[in-house]
Amino acid sequence: MATSPIFQLHEGTAAQRTYKGVGIALGLLALVLVAFAFTDTGQIELFDNGYTISLGRITKAVSYIVAVLGLQIVAGFNGQLSLGQGFFFGTGAYISAILVADYNWSYLSTLIVVVPVCFLLGMAFGIPALRISGLYLALVTLGLAAVFPSIVQLEQIAEYTNGAGGKVVDSKLVAPDWLPLDAIANFLQAIPLIGDYFGDGDLSNGEKEKIWVFMLMVVITLVCFKMVSNLIQSRPGRALRAIRDNETSAAVTGMNLALYKTLAFGVASALGGVGGMIYITETGIASPNDFTQLLSILFIVGLVVGGVGTLSGAVIGGLVIVFVPDWASSTQSFPGVPEKWLEGPTGNLILGILLIVLTFVLPGGVVSGIRRIKARIVRIVPQTPGGYTEVSGDETTATRTAEDATPVSEGATAPTDTARVTDDIGQEPVTHGADSRELP
Amino acid sequence: MELFVARLFDGFSNGATYALIALALVMIFKATTLINFAQGEFAMIGAFFVFVLAVEQGLPVWLAVFVGMLISAVLAAGIERTLIRPFDPADHLPLVIITLGLFLGINALAGMIWGFNTRAFPELFPSGNALSFGQATLSWYTVGVVFVTIVVASGLTLLLNKTKIGLAFRAVSSNLESSELVGVRVGPTLQFGWAIAAAVGTLGASVYVANPILQLEPSVMGRVLIFSVSAAALGGLDSLWGAIIGGLAIGMVQSIVVPYTPFPSEMGLAAAVLVLMLVLLFKPSGLFGTPRVERV
Repeated sequence: MATSPIFQLHEGTAAQRTYKGVGIALGLLALVLVAFAFTDTGQIELFDNGYTISLGRITKAVSYIVAVLGLQIVAGFNGQLSLGQGFFFGTGAYISAILVADYNWSYLSTLIVVVPVCFLLGMAFGIPALRISGLYLALVTLGLAAVFPSIVQLEQIAEYTNGAGGKVVDSKLVAPDWLPLDAIANFLQAIPLIGDYFGDGDLSNGEKEKIWVFMLMVVITLVCFKMVSNLIQSRPGRALRAIRDNETSAAVTGMNLALYKTLAFGVASALGGVGGMIYITETGIASPNDFTQLLSILFIVGLVVGGVGTLSGAVIGGLVIVFVPDWASSTQSFPGVPEKWLEGPTGNLILGILLIVLTFVLPGGVVSGIRRIKARIVRIVPQTPGGYTEVSGDETTATRTAEDATPVSEGATAPTDTARVTDDIGQEPVTHGADSRELP
Repeated sequence: MELFVARLFDGFSNGATYALIALALVMIFKATTLINFAQGEFAMIGAFFVFVLAVEQGLPVWLAVFVGMLISAVLAAGIERTLIRPFDPADHLPLVIITLGLFLGINALAGMIWGFNTRAFPELFPSGNALSFGQATLSWYTVGVVFVTIVVASGLTLLLNKTKIGLAFRAVSSNLESSELVGVRVGPTLQFGWAIAAAVGTLGASVYVANPILQLEPSVMGRVLIFSVSAAALGGLDSLWGAIIGGLAIGMVQSIVVPYTPFPSEMGLAAAVLVLMLVLLFKPSGLFGTPRVERV
């Protein structure tokens, strides 16, 4: 990384705050545009396949994003490879479905039950994880994920789960009247050039419902991300990473391994449950065969493709594991590929190959690739107690690279604003090696 | 009593198949201290090779099994060379991810080539019953499966104890660095372990789907993998005969213990997972495995 970035911003200055603010604003604007563009008219044509992205699919991706986010905590930041996230995702989906369908709860209020139940279940399964580690933990949790369909089909609980048929929920989330969805849609349609992408005229009730569900779930997801980001940067978060990096030294430093490891499982499982709730608002049915061990393996694909131990990786991972199979299954012709190969589970083949290829060429996932590119354009210089010190780019990069916390990538990630999340372990974020050398 | 005997026989035939796949897992674990999550899919695609050779090419069925085992051994050796060897064997995470990628990829590939329709697999053993106690019958299938399993385990034991490559394999699995120092070619030896595992897996899957009540389709091995993993863990992940005992024990749990509990037979899988969890919690080295000493 010999080239210095085009922009260099100091943390805490007005320029950096503007940069951050613009980033957040653009992100929110993109979400609104996505919500209105994909309700009925949004289309992405890759090689004439006629594949249409619907907003419902995006909401499904949001549910997977939250589940992968949970996996980031337990596998990415705590180093416990859990293949059982699908179990908790399914649990959340079923609890939510049962409460809404049989007890007339509203979707959002089911979180009051889903989150604690999944959290406690996760803690309970985290207890064996104290003794079982690494490969063996992967085995046990995979078994757990494989058992889930059998459990919900048990005759004893069939009156609640409806057995093999799946639990159907027909309750809807209706958009409140005060939200001027029609006005926004009309406004967007009036924009020249891109207006056509937002459909025509007022929205139907179904479209309104879709947009409302999407927005609501995005808000829940953003809250989850904020909470996880705070957790990771706080004392427990540093403990989680310290345990991942070296269990013995973490124990010697006085960290309660048992507490933090079960806590990681609990939080991850609770997020899995939230993901399940979001899934049920979109699909309206929880069926046993949707929550097999394949789902848990897909979550691992999401984790690895996005980037292990990165929060933004969860977003990319969630999108990939929904849209790659979806796109592949609706693609009937692709230049240079015989049509016979496009029937059947092409998507899973692509994901499998992607998983292997990424492990070879980009072990830090897509996020580490993006960070590498971004580091060439913008760098945020962290604030130090001694004021700003002009550090030459290479030096900062070198030190930060060594400290960077992604377990699989070594030496790929350069300092960005997100590097604050993967800050170094255990010490107060006051001084960094390179900076302190410059201090008087 | 008759019901009990019938369940006992069922337990033998299920248990012996789990034992065969568990043997494959043990061979890979001995070589690389890795659980191959794609082992079930390796075995499944091997069974498809056998199916194509026997039914579409018209080979005699046992010859087809043999050729299928050879093909899958060569493929597994290739996979070991290209996808597994570049990684540090001590770092499990990338290797687990690679095997999960193989799991997804192979399963999808089989679905794309052969579709998800079930196919009747040619019979490997004579139909009919060898013995019968009233209603409880011991079919030739059960006898055949148990016989094959014992032959395979004996063959592997001989291979590991009486041949040069077997000696090298045992050396590498007990201490990789020292065996490298005394001139064992570690790479090809591990490759040999993968090839043997794939061949045994193919045999296991062929025998499994030759069961008259089962049919061949891409997801047939999904559950078997979980049963076999618990079998291997119960027997001790690095013990060949432990895998046999573990497989039979898991088979017995599934067909004898579970039917006497108030839960439906679906819970056999849950019982297997429970056994796996209990073994790893309280005796991680299994019944016959070598205890691992971790140096800090």
